[in-house]
Parts: sequence; structure tokens; C-alpha cells
Amino acid sequence: MPKFMFLQRSGEECAKERSPKEMQQSMQVWGAWMSEGLSAGWLLDPGDALQPGGKVLQRDGTVTDGPFAESKELVGGYCMIEAEDLEAATARALSMPDTGGVVEIRQLAGHSME
Amino acid sequence: MTSPNPEGRPPEPPQLVEHFFRHESAILVSVLTRAFGVHSLDLVEDAVQEALLAAVQAWSRRGVPDNPAGWIYRVARNRILDTIRRQKIHQRVTAQLNSVEAFESRVEEWLQEERLPDSLLRMMFVCCHPTLDRRSQIALTLKILCGFSVAEVARALLISREAAKKRVQRAKKTLAATQIQLELPSSGELPARLEAVHDVLYLLFNEGYSSTLGHEPLRDDLCEEAARLSHMLCEYSGLSTPESRALLALMLAHAARLEARVDSGGNVVLLEDQDRSRWDRPLIHHAQQWFERSKTDPPSRFHLEAGIALTHSLATNIDDTDWQLIVQLYDRLIALHDSPVYILNRAVARAELGDVELGLAELMSIRNHSQMRHYILLDCAIGRLHERAGNPDAAATAYTAARSAATAPHEQALLDRKLARLTAEAPAICSVAARAVQGEKI
Repeated sequence: MPKFMFLQRSGEECAKERSPKEMQQSMQVWGAWMSEGLSAGWLLDPGDALQPGGKVLQRDGTVTDGPFAESKELVGGYCMIEAEDLEAATARALSMPDTGGVVEIRQLAGHSME
Repeated sequence: MTSPNPEGRPPEPPQLVEHFFRHESAILVSVLTRAFGVHSLDLVEDAVQEALLAAVQAWSRRGVPDNPAGWIYRVARNRILDTIRRQKIHQRVTAQLNSVEAFESRVEEWLQEERLPDSLLRMMFVCCHPTLDRRSQIALTLKILCGFSVAEVARALLISREAAKKRVQRAKKTLAATQIQLELPSSGELPARLEAVHDVLYLLFNEGYSSTLGHEPLRDDLCEEAARLSHMLCEYSGLSTPESRALLALMLAHAARLEARVDSGGNVVLLEDQDRSRWDRPLIHHAQQWFERSKTDPPSRFHLEAGIALTHSLATNIDDTDWQLIVQLYDRLIALHDSPVYILNRAVARAELGDVELGLAELMSIRNHSQMRHYILLDCAIGRLHERAGNPDAAATAYTAARSAATAPHEQALLDRKLARLTAEAPAICSVAARAVQGEKI
């Protein structure tokens, strides 16, 4: 079955203003979504969140500090799922809890080596 | 910790006690500020916020660790130490701490369950410090000790987000400039400092309880948090005074009625119309026990208000209520503190005793008081007294006046129901009330 990566892009600012109560609720709904996916098998890897900082290496050897894009476009986390096709993967992404930001749905190329 | 997925085992569904994040935030901000000083409050708050966010990211993927509080503490501590090293304020901070090791052993001691009230109550006295005005004290208490975000502080206090943010920031700046320590007041200072704490807790509770503000879950949180902090005060030797205990009794007696104040449709229900079988009996019992332990002479306004709240709580219905006692308690309250709200409530109690004329005269006498402007409960009470006196026309007029002044939907709905009931019971005034229900001014 095709594999997909969900890239979660969201702003850092809104995260800073969230209250403990909202964070706990968010943790509960995301936890439920993740454990449902793992038990059902469509969630291949719950992935991880990415630290906001980082470096950018140009091929001429120049290294600069991140961020790499507008902060609202920063990738904040990812996970891996499997689905029939892009449409089914998009439907799956729709079932994710809405905690702000956007989700990018990308299919792994999965080229055969034979 | 439960194992991450790639090996295949799904994590346990995350289980945390209700308000775990909120209370953990208050605990860590208090304990870490105790270690790093009030001038580092911003730094500490940011670190705790980041630690909570990290917990959301990690725990939603891998389940809740065995010791969630310890996990958040370690992340917050590391963030602070990193920031301190980066910002080169290391020397100033380590001068107070001697070494990171010494700091850690002290903090870990303060984080022991039975020692937590020690840090939280110290922080309570900082939030209610006399260099801050009452409004800042309330905002800061909500932010730090109740773990509210700025947006939640704004919603709870019915102010704009900008105003809430300014209030909190200004308060923190003032505190940082005063170089105050996270400590309990000296015995000489204690009575006045404790009075400020009581006032703030009382006002927090009232903000949550006030029936004119409509119903939203955040308001119940305010009541719960105020009662939780009061309870902590009452359990702490040296801070538990007769006033603290009366304040707690007062909150618990009111809190017992919280559920019954909203009907199944989400409408606000006033005391006289509440389904008393929905009152929380065990909570009323707790209120009675704390009230028993609060006896002192002369009684404070908390004692008198708790006495009134308990008198209502123990009555099986409106007619069975000891209105004589309630009038007496309001007499003593008004002697202590001349508030139009007390006069309003006493007038209602008088009417219940049969003295409707005197009650109405008293209600009319406070109509022009500044606090009573836009206070729809006054016209509600006037309407009710007219109903009591068998004067539905005048009652409809009063309810209609309140209806046309009401701006919030739940207030309008409340008065529509009052008017509709009046119409059902007294067809003679049908036309007046019917027009009123449609929202026309008469």
C-alpha cells in the first residue's frame, strides 16, 4: 500500500500563547488519534516534532541559521501513514485533530529497485 | 515510559488527572521562581511553557511517562539553565544558588508533594503584594497560580486581551523592580497581607459565580481554582485563620449550587427557580464543617455571607427558608460594608417575610446607585416583589424594563422566561407581557 508523510506546518507564535488547559486537551485528542492509528495499523510511525531552530547549508559551503521560511510555513512535526491513494490519505489527514496550522500530504515515491 | 511505535506496540492511551497541566504549571512556576528569584519570573514562565509544549508533542506520540511531573520539571530546568548560560546572567543567578547541584537538591525537596503548598502560598503572597493594585493582583493570580493564559485571563475578567496582557506585564515589571523574595510575610505584616489574599480569592470566586455573566465552563474553573487555593490556605498551619475558613465555607456553599444554576438548555436559573435536588449535598456538608471551624467574634463579612449561603443551602424550598435569619445577617453585613447588592438581597428577604412594601421601597432607594446601573438583577428583584404582592402589571413593567436593558442573550432569555411565566399565570396582563416578550419597549 502507498505510504504518505504528513508534514505539519504551523506558527510558533500561537503555540506560545496556548494555555495549560488547551495544551492538555490537545495532548489528549492527539494521543487518541495516534493510538487509534497505531492499533488500526494505518499509522506507520507517529513521527516526531521538530525543534524550531537549525542551520541552512548552501552548496557553496555557507552556513546560516534557520528559520528557512516564513514562520507560519515552518515544518513543526511529521508522521507516516499508509493509505489506498492520495484521496484516502487526504481523508485521513482530515481526521487529525485541528490544533491550528496546515497539513501537507506527500506520497513517498517508493520506486522499485527491481 | 511506554515504548515508541516502530517496534509495533501501540502506546497506552494518555491518562492524566484533570487540570494536570494547569496545576503543574502553577507548581513549577512557583518552585522555580523561588529558586531563581522574582526577577526571573518571565524566564521561568517561558521555560515552563516550553516544557508543557514538549510534553504535548512527546506524550501524544509515545504515551504519558511514569512520572509526568518529573518529566516536565526536567525539561523546564534544562531550558532555564541553557538560557542562563546563553544570556550570561549565570553569575548573578549562581551567586544566589552557590551551584547547580545545590540548587537541584533544594528544588527537588520543594517539589515533594507535601512541600508544594509552601511554594504555592509564597507565590500567592507575591501575586497579592501590596505594591500591586487589586486588579493586577487578580490578573497575576489567575495567570500564575491558576495557570490561565492571557486570553483566558481576559475572558475570565471580561476585559480585552490587550488589557489583560498589559495588566500582567506591568505587574511582573513592578514585582521585578521591588526585589521582593518568595517568602511568607512576617507575623507583624501577616494580618494585612492575608486580608489582601482573602480579598483576591473572594473576588476571583465572585467573578466566576456571578450569575449576570452567563454560563461558560471557564467561569466554573474560576470558582474551582479560588476554592482550591482557599482550601490550601486553610490546611496550612499559621495561615489558616477563622476568616480563611469562613471564606472557604462561603465558596463551598455557593459551589454546591453551581450545577443547578444552569438548566439542560444552558439557561441561567436564579435561586428561586432552581431544582434543589441538583444541589451538591456532600459539598454543602463540607461547607458546614468548615463553617463550624471558623467561629470567631466579631464575625467577618465572610462569616456573615457564609451564614447566608448556608441558610439557603439548608432550606428545602423558598418558603421553608429562614428569611428572618437572613435579614439579620444582611443587617450586620450592611453595618460592616454598605453595598447596594446587600441592600437588594435584604429587600428580597424582607419581602419573603411579608414586608413587600418596605422591600420595594428599599429597592427603589438604590435604583440610582452607580453600581446598580445596568444591573438587571435589580429590575428582576423589583418584578419579583411586585409578583409577590399580587401586582402582575407592575411586575411585567419591571421585567420589561430589565428586558430592554439586557444586552447579553442569556439575560434576555432569562427575562423572556420570567415574562412568559407571568403571562401563563395571569392572562389579564397577557397583552403587556406578550409585547414585552417580543422585545418591544412599553
